[in-house]
Amino acid sequence: MGDEGAFHPRVLIVGEARFEGARTTAPARWSWELTRRTSAPARLAPTTVRADSPTLLEEPFVWWLGSTDVGALSSREITGLRAFFALGGVLFVDDSDPTTGVFERSAKRELARVLPDTNPVPLGAEHVVFRSFYLLHKPVGRLSGLDHLDAIMRNGQAQVLFSSHDLAGALAQDRHGMPSFRVTPDGDLQREMAIRLAVNVAMFVLCSNYKDDQVHAPILMRRRARDR
Amino acid sequence: MSIALSTDLPLWAGILAGLLLVGGLAMVSWELALHRRRAIIVASTALAATLLLTLAVLRPLRVQAKYTTVGPRVLVLVDRSLSMALSGDGDQRSRVANHVVGELRRTHSAARWSIHGFGSGAAFSWDESNDTAPDQPSSDLLSAFAALSESSEEKPSAVVIVSDGRLDRPPEGVSEQQIRSALSSWNMPIHTVAVASTDMSDASIRDVRTAGVSVAHQPFRLTVTVACTGRLVCENIPLTVLELVEEGAPVVLASGTVRLERGIGTVELPITLDRAGSRVVRVSIRAPEGDELPANDQRILTFNVTRDRVRILHIAGRPTYDTRAMRQWLKADGSLDVVAFFILRSLSDDVNATPDELALIRFPVDELFSEHLSSFDAVVLQDFDALSYGLTPYLSNLSDYVNKGGGLVMVGGLHGFSAGNYAGTPLETVLPVRLPKEEHGIDTAPFVPRMTVAGRETPVLEAVRALYGDRLPQMSGTNLLDEARDGAVVLWEHPTLTTTRGKPMPVLALGEHGNGRVVALSVDGTHRLAFSEMASQMAGRGYGALWDALLGWLMRDPRYEPARVELLSPCLAGRATPVRIHRVPGLQGEVQARLVALGSQKALPDLVGSKSTDRSFTAELPALDAGGYALRLQIGKGASTRFDFACEQGGDEWADPRPDVTRLQTIAKASAGSFVGAKDVSKLTFPQSTPVATERQESPLLPAWVWSLAAAMALGIHWIARRWSGLS
Repeated sequence: MGDEGAFHPRVLIVGEARFEGARTTAPARWSWELTRRTSAPARLAPTTVRADSPTLLEEPFVWWLGSTDVGALSSREITGLRAFFALGGVLFVDDSDPTTGVFERSAKRELARVLPDTNPVPLGAEHVVFRSFYLLHKPVGRLSGLDHLDAIMRNGQAQVLFSSHDLAGALAQDRHGMPSFRVTPDGDLQREMAIRLAVNVAMFVLCSNYKDDQVHAPILMRRRARDR
Repeated sequence: MSIALSTDLPLWAGILAGLLLVGGLAMVSWELALHRRRAIIVASTALAATLLLTLAVLRPLRVQAKYTTVGPRVLVLVDRSLSMALSGDGDQRSRVANHVVGELRRTHSAARWSIHGFGSGAAFSWDESNDTAPDQPSSDLLSAFAALSESSEEKPSAVVIVSDGRLDRPPEGVSEQQIRSALSSWNMPIHTVAVASTDMSDASIRDVRTAGVSVAHQPFRLTVTVACTGRLVCENIPLTVLELVEEGAPVVLASGTVRLERGIGTVELPITLDRAGSRVVRVSIRAPEGDELPANDQRILTFNVTRDRVRILHIAGRPTYDTRAMRQWLKADGSLDVVAFFILRSLSDDVNATPDELALIRFPVDELFSEHLSSFDAVVLQDFDALSYGLTPYLSNLSDYVNKGGGLVMVGGLHGFSAGNYAGTPLETVLPVRLPKEEHGIDTAPFVPRMTVAGRETPVLEAVRALYGDRLPQMSGTNLLDEARDGAVVLWEHPTLTTTRGKPMPVLALGEHGNGRVVALSVDGTHRLAFSEMASQMAGRGYGALWDALLGWLMRDPRYEPARVELLSPCLAGRATPVRIHRVPGLQGEVQARLVALGSQKALPDLVGSKSTDRSFTAELPALDAGGYALRLQIGKGASTRFDFACEQGGDEWADPRPDVTRLQTIAKASAGSFVGAKDVSKLTFPQSTPVATERQESPLLPAWVWSLAAAMALGIHWIARRWSGLS
C-alpha cells in the first residue's frame, strides 16, 4: 500500500563514485513527470543504491549514470549485479557525456564481466520501449545522440538499456524548477521528447512488453503507419 | 457282487505272482516232456500247487457295491442388466426370466442347476426367488463366461442363457465364428431363452457421441442418434442440449431437429463448453404421443472438459511492481493465453500530448464485460477501482460469470476491495470474504502475514511452503477485509487486525460461489516473492510457486484438490451408488460431504460412511433421481473440492430397448445349442443322468492262512507224487 510497488529510479553507485552535481535532481524529476503524466505511482524522493548492497535486490530497477570511466567492478559488486539480473532486474545505463562515450564504453566493459555471454544489440523504433506509453520514433536526451538505444537481451527481455543521450541532463532542474542544462539541438521540444523517453522506460519496467500484446499491437501499428 | 484281488498288494507283487504261476507251469511241462511216467498225477498236483500258491499271494476279495443315477449339471446365466426391467413377453423381462428358471427346475427335476446372474463383470450367484429389480448397468456375457472358466467347480454339461439379447458383449451383429472363438473353452451346448421378442413403442436417444476430447471454449460436434420402434410413427423430432449448472436454469447449448428415416436418424450439433472440469449436459427429445418409455427421451452425461490453454483476463488499475510480477509470471507460462488491460492513464493525468502521440487505447470495459467475459477461464482484478474505470455497471455480469463457473482473483492495493468500491456490490457476494463499508478501507502498517492451520495443510501452498516454510515477506499494508464467508478457507491471516467478530482478519482466502471459484488477496506485495533479497534465496521461484498453485486451484487442477472422487459404478436413478474418496496425505480432520442437485438448492440426504479420517475410503451416494449433481467435500477446516456427475434412469441399457432375438439364436447355433422362447423352455433337452457308485463293501473269500495252508498242502502232495513217479 502507499508507495508499495511504485516506480523508483534508484541511482546505482559503484566503487568510489558519488552521486552529486546538477543531475541529482533528475531522479525526482523522472518520478514527478511519471506521476503527473500517467497512473503509475513513483517514489518522489528517489535514493541511491550500491551495487554490493543487499538492498539492490529490493526493487527491479536501477539507473547507472556518469561521465567518466566507472573503474573495475569489485567481485561483490559483480555478484550483486548478477543476482539482480538473475531475478529479472532492469538497468538503465545513461551516459552523461556522450561526446566522449567514456562512461558508456567502461560500463559495457564491466557489464561484460557481469554477464559474460551477452552482447549489447541496437533497439530500433519497433521495440516496445518506444511505445510503452508515448509513441516515439527515436531516443533523445540532453543531446540528440544515436537514433537507437543499445540493450543486453536476456530471455527475450531487454535487461540493460544503454542511452548515449544524457537523459539525466535533460531531466535535471535547479532549485527554481528551471532546466539545469541546455538541450541541443532542438531545445524544449527535444526536452519534452526526453521526458517522454523517461516515461516510456519507466512504463517498460513496470509493464514489460504489455504493449506487444496482440490486442494492442494491431491498433498501435496502424496508428504508427498513419503518422509516417 | 464281484470278485477282486487284494488291494494292499503293490502292482509289482501281482506281476511277480503271475510270472511265478507261468514259470512254474512251464517248468512242470518241460519235466513231463522228458519223463512221462504218471505224468497226469504229477501235472495235476503241480498245477494245483502253483495256483494255490499264487492265490495265497493275491488273496482274492468279494466286493459288494450300490449305485445311484446323477442328473446333468446345468449352468443357467440370467441377464440382470437394467434392460431386463423393461417389458417383455407379457410381463417385465426379469419376471419372465424368473418364470423361465422356475419352469426349467420343474421340467428337468433330475438336472443339477447352478443359477447365476450376469451383468457388468463376473457372474454372480443368483436365485429366482430373490425378486429384486435388475440393477446391472451393462450386460457383458463374455466376462461372465471368462470368470466362470476360472472356477474350480465341476464343468457343466450344458448352459442356458436367459436374456433379452440386448447385450454389450458379444455385440450386435456378431457372427457364429466369433462366438465359437470367444467361447472355445466351453465345448458343451449353450441354449438360449429369449424373454422378449417384440419391440416397445418407443422413441429414444439411441446414442450420443463426440469426436475426440472436449476442450473448453472450443466448439465440438455432438452426434446424436434418435430412433423410434414399435408402432410409434416418427418423422421430425425436436432435440435440445442443455448444460446443468449449480445455480439457476440450465444453459441452452444447442437445439435442432432430427429427421428420421426407417425409424432412425442422426443429427450433429456443435456445442461449446466454456468451463473445464466435469460438466453435466442433458440431451433431450420431444417424443411423439404413445411413447411407452419416456425415461429414455433424455440422456444426462458427464463431459470431462479439458483445457487447451487457460484464457486469463488480467486487469490492473495501475502499473506497479506487483503488476509487473503478475504479468511476467502470466506471460512466462506458455499454457496461459493472457489478455491484459492496464490503466496507464487516468482522466486527471496530464500527458502533454495529443492522442495520436500516445500508445494508449480505450479500456473496452463494455466489450470485455458484456460480450467476451464468458470466453475467459479466469479474471484477475489487480488493484482496480471499479467506480473510476466504469466497471461498476458490469459487476453483476462478473458475479454471474463466477456463478456459471468462471474463476476470479481479486488482488489488493490502493484501489482494491472496499477502496476499489466493491463493498455492497453484486461482486462482493461472490468473494470469499465480506467487505467493510469504510471508503478508505486500507491499513498501511507493515506486517508479515501469518499462515493459518488450513494454509499449512492445503496442497495449494505446499510448493511455496517447500521453499520458505511458514516465512512470508513483509507487506507494506493491507486492504481491510471482514469475516470469511461460510465455506471459505483462509490460508493467510493478519497477525494483529481483526474482523468485526474479533477473528484474525483474512489476508488470503479461497472460496466457491455457484460453479466458480474465487481467490481474495488483500495485499499488493507478493511481488516480493519474485524480487527481493528473500526471493533471491530461492531464485525468485516463490512467486511462481504461489500463483501457479492459486491459479491451478482456481482452474480445479487435480494437483491442488484436497481429495479425489471416483464413482465405482455409474450413478443410476433410484439406486445407491458407491464412491471412492481419496484424500491428499497429510490433511487432518474428517471429510465433510455435501451433495447438491445442479439447478436447485434442494437439500439431499448425506452420503453413507463419508465421515471418515481414512486416507482412502468408500462411501455411498443415496438413491437419487435422474439429474446432475455436485458433491462437495471439505477436509477438516481446509480447502474444499467438488465433483460433478450425472445420474440417469436406465442409462445405456434403456437407450435401445429392443430385444435382440437374432443374437441369442446366433449364440445357440454357434455352440450346437437350442434357441427357444420363454414359453417353450420345457422343450430344451439336456444330457442323460449317469450312474455313480454310492457304497462299496470288500471281504476276503477265505482267510489268508487258509490260502497259505492249502498251498503248503498242495506242494506236499505234489512232492509225494513226484517221488512216487520217480522224479526227484
